[in-house]
Amino acid sequence: MPLGTLNREPPPFFRQGPSALSKLAVCSAMAFFLMVADARFKVMQPVRVAVATALYPVQWLALQPINAVQSISVYFASLNSAQAARDAAQNMRITQSLRVNQVEHLMLENERLRKLMGLRDRLQSPASPAQVIYDAADPYTRKVVIDKGMVHSIAIGSPVVDELGVVGQVTRVYPLVSEVTLLTDRDHAIPVLNTRTGARSVAFGDTSIHADAMELRYMAANADVAEGDLLTTSGVDGVYPPGLPVARIEKIERRVDTAFARVYCVPLARVAGTGHVMVLEPLNTQIPPRPTPDSRSASGRNGVDK
Amino acid sequence: MIMRPGQQLLLPVNPLFVWGSLLAALTLNMLQNMGLWGRATWTPDLLAVVLVFWTVHQPQRVSIVLAFVFGLLMDVHQGALLGQHALAYTVLSYLAIAIHRRLLWFTVPSQAAQVLPLFAVAHAVELGTRLLAGGDFPGFGVLIAPLLESVLWPVASVLLLMPQRRAPNPDAHRPL
Repeated sequence: MPLGTLNREPPPFFRQGPSALSKLAVCSAMAFFLMVADARFKVMQPVRVAVATALYPVQWLALQPINAVQSISVYFASLNSAQAARDAAQNMRITQSLRVNQVEHLMLENERLRKLMGLRDRLQSPASPAQVIYDAADPYTRKVVIDKGMVHSIAIGSPVVDELGVVGQVTRVYPLVSEVTLLTDRDHAIPVLNTRTGARSVAFGDTSIHADAMELRYMAANADVAEGDLLTTSGVDGVYPPGLPVARIEKIERRVDTAFARVYCVPLARVAGTGHVMVLEPLNTQIPPRPTPDSRSASGRNGVDK
Repeated sequence: MIMRPGQQLLLPVNPLFVWGSLLAALTLNMLQNMGLWGRATWTPDLLAVVLVFWTVHQPQRVSIVLAFVFGLLMDVHQGALLGQHALAYTVLSYLAIAIHRRLLWFTVPSQAAQVLPLFAVAHAVELGTRLLAGGDFPGFGVLIAPLLESVLWPVASVLLLMPQRRAPNPDAHRPL
């Protein structure tokens, strides 16, 4: 047997490098530092972007078999399902056509009324279509990844909607993809308006009752909410355009021992298993900056002094 | 060098194969997430299995620092808390280094039973950091993942040692 064909070589006695325990200590300290810098100070986004760019070829490679299988399964999708989808689309078109025909008339009327009242024109949000590539694997959050990123000028904080309502908000932007936090994430909050009563409140993601649900918090026990109420975006946050459907109230628990009612809602958009979405530009980029109150406050203080 | 009774003489390992198998495990992890099961808690972490395997078999080539770097890659891919997998893999790799001289004296099924606590500790570290950082408990699927990883240990032992089990001088009668 020639030399160099055996796996075992004698272990080095003197040059063993740093001990395993010291490596463990250093790496754990690094990991703790990263976690604190990420969770508490939010300064790790450049590192994430750099690593994600390096990782993108591997992700692309892993996506290829998935795309191939999907395209094959779409190719062999049965005629029946195609016909059913067409019928559903036809029904939806008929039900929507009545309202669509009224839109021109209503917009004209709205424009005249707004001019009459001297209000600002309602802001228009430019939108760009995107596709959900996959669910982010982290089971502690509810996030999806879409196929548009920095190169498509996606801004952080942009609202994301589908054809039924609001899906979530862009929370991390990478060069070629972005992460969207869904409405059902427990750290996600969205200001909403009850369309029946006109009352404004805030809805939070809540997965404690079932998988994809939301909770309307800080509602007084005797507040006017009913099961089946539609919640839309209120537009007071400067992020979401007003009037987008968000959720429907599913269940209300009023208890005698708390001052607040527990109001559970289900999101209207398909937050689990969405395919195509629209990314809107956040409204606060279009709102003119606040006037500086320097001169007025200065004069007010002078007036007090006198 | 003390030989175990019945130990097979192995060819030297190809460093490219070690690196390639680690990258392949990372890709398979991504494939599990992006294509097969999405946001499931019970999916076995193949990268952890391969990392422990190479840490036990080649402790000079695969170190704790490498485990830390692969943990960072997993964190960025999952969009998780940065450093969560890095910490878990660091601890995992340290424990693997601690038992690597003892582990290979056992048969492969009893090795699988002995690496089970390692994977359980790694998942517990991950769960603990996330619960401390203010996450919800994701469900009892997390208990299945270490079991599946330990079941995959014999599979990894067969697949990853295959190139080293070839004959040193292959000929027409003995191609492999």
